[in-house]
Amino acid sequence: MPAAITTQGLTKIYGRRLGIEGLDLEVRSGEIFGFIGPNGAGKTTTIRLLLDLLHPTRGRAEVLGLDSHRQSVEVRRSVGYLPGEFGLDVRMTGRQLVSNFARLRGMQDLGSADRLAERLGVDLELPTGRLSRGNRQKVGLVQALFHEPAVAILDEPTTGLDPLVQDTFLQLLREARAEGRTIFLSSHILSEVERVCDRVAIVRGGRLAALETTESLLERRRKRVTLVFAAPVDAAPFAALPGVSDVHAEGTTIWMSVGDGIDAVVKLAARYTLLDLNVEHPSLDEVFLGYYDQQQSAASAGPAGARP
Amino acid sequence: MTGTGHWWLLTRQQLRGRTRSIVIWGIALGALGALYVALFPSMSELLGQYLEQASEQMRQFMGQLEDSMTIEGWMEMEFITSIIPIALPFMVIPMGARAVSGSEERKTLDLLLSNPLPRWHVIASALGTMAGALACVLSLTWILTYIAVPAAGVGLGPGRLAAALFVLWVFCLLFGALALLVSTWVRRSFLAIVIPAVVLVAMYVIGNLAQVSKSAEPIRVFSLFYHLGHPLKGDFPWTAVLLMLAAVCVIGAAAAAAFHRRDIYT
Repeated sequence: MPAAITTQGLTKIYGRRLGIEGLDLEVRSGEIFGFIGPNGAGKTTTIRLLLDLLHPTRGRAEVLGLDSHRQSVEVRRSVGYLPGEFGLDVRMTGRQLVSNFARLRGMQDLGSADRLAERLGVDLELPTGRLSRGNRQKVGLVQALFHEPAVAILDEPTTGLDPLVQDTFLQLLREARAEGRTIFLSSHILSEVERVCDRVAIVRGGRLAALETTESLLERRRKRVTLVFAAPVDAAPFAALPGVSDVHAEGTTIWMSVGDGIDAVVKLAARYTLLDLNVEHPSLDEVFLGYYDQQQSAASAGPAGARP
Repeated sequence: MTGTGHWWLLTRQQLRGRTRSIVIWGIALGALGALYVALFPSMSELLGQYLEQASEQMRQFMGQLEDSMTIEGWMEMEFITSIIPIALPFMVIPMGARAVSGSEERKTLDLLLSNPLPRWHVIASALGTMAGALACVLSLTWILTYIAVPAAGVGLGPGRLAAALFVLWVFCLLFGALALLVSTWVRRSFLAIVIPAVVLVAMYVIGNLAQVSKSAEPIRVFSLFYHLGHPLKGDFPWTAVLLMLAAVCVIGAAAAAAFHRRDIYT
């Protein structure tokens, strides 16, 4: 099956500022592909290059085998797009907006707009100026998906959505994948990426830092555990547990970094009088930093660990 | 959907969204036109009495006023060359400015361009919307102005009034197109409004200055107001109209080319 999206050496430089550099990427047809990174990493730049809203400084991108710059009209025929930030004509209702876009796509009806609106819980009859931020985001999602595109490119799609609607939205993505459609999902929220994505690309500072399956990314996610005991406790048994690192103790408190071994840590801690237990999940930025540290350590150890 | 279908569809959508503004402009200008027609009989009588009593020297000095004793001269001086060409461009200049940089500022351009339409269709539809809006406003102006003609008992030919308004249609469209071009170059719609507005006001000042100052006469050719001719008196400025229409086409093509090469930011 041909790739849904490929980029080769895709580079965008804004004057003296780097947007994205030398991006080589392949998104397979029928997968949900997470594109993650901290703010300013180059996620939105990449998406805008795929949609031909920006022109590349170097390199090229293809969507469904079509050049995203030279064949941009054909590309957009098969793509649904939700921008990270977008404005709506405040006098227009959601239905009018979708109806206008349906006509521009040569559609005779509104496709799955009503079904999507019902599942997301948004009223398409209201002028968009009277909608809350979350409901405007839902209208944005409806316009991106109503024509059932072969490829949906979604930039921070869950912004402003409440947790229940986020769940519904992620279910919609799973259903789209089941129908063989491809989703390119940009996000800085690791939890939503880990729930639906098959593979994940991490960008940082305009460069691709990693491209791996979601499982292998999650393996890198280490929790920070803080244990407060009634009396000072020897930290050495904790440091000896599998999956535990960076252990240090001060007075009655022990801090450590834990991968898969939280069960063993809790069981060991239970042998003492435990006053408090705090488990902190790292932010995505911290995951990136951890990833970078590992990469750099591997690189300094030998060429086999060179950054991809 | 054919290539033409896209921009025509966009034009219709945008015109529908501007219906209220078009009606307000048309009624306002039309009512003003009707008012000037209605005022003409009493004004011409007053002016006639004044000129009869004036000395020969004063009459020569007031030659221009004598011209306004005809309905054509009166309407041209008070309405066609003074009010419409300085007011109506301010309806289309913001429309041109909003088409690209304004939509970019409001973040609506991304959604529009996520549809399968070439960028030049956005430019063509903006020009189409401005042309359509101007045509509607000036048609309303013509109708309302002309309604007052039989009531006032004056002999203003409908064809000549239409010809004069057609010249203004091209004139205003040119400034809208200029705003559209600037909006493809700059990222601030404010500048896309200010630059053509300054050009318009400068031309107006030059045109008026040349009427009262001999030293300013050589530069009056740079003012489009000078080239508007006297269509109400049967002097239709064919050359100027054709050149202005050609300029609109060239500016539109330049705007399409500039927009094609341009990055769109959020």
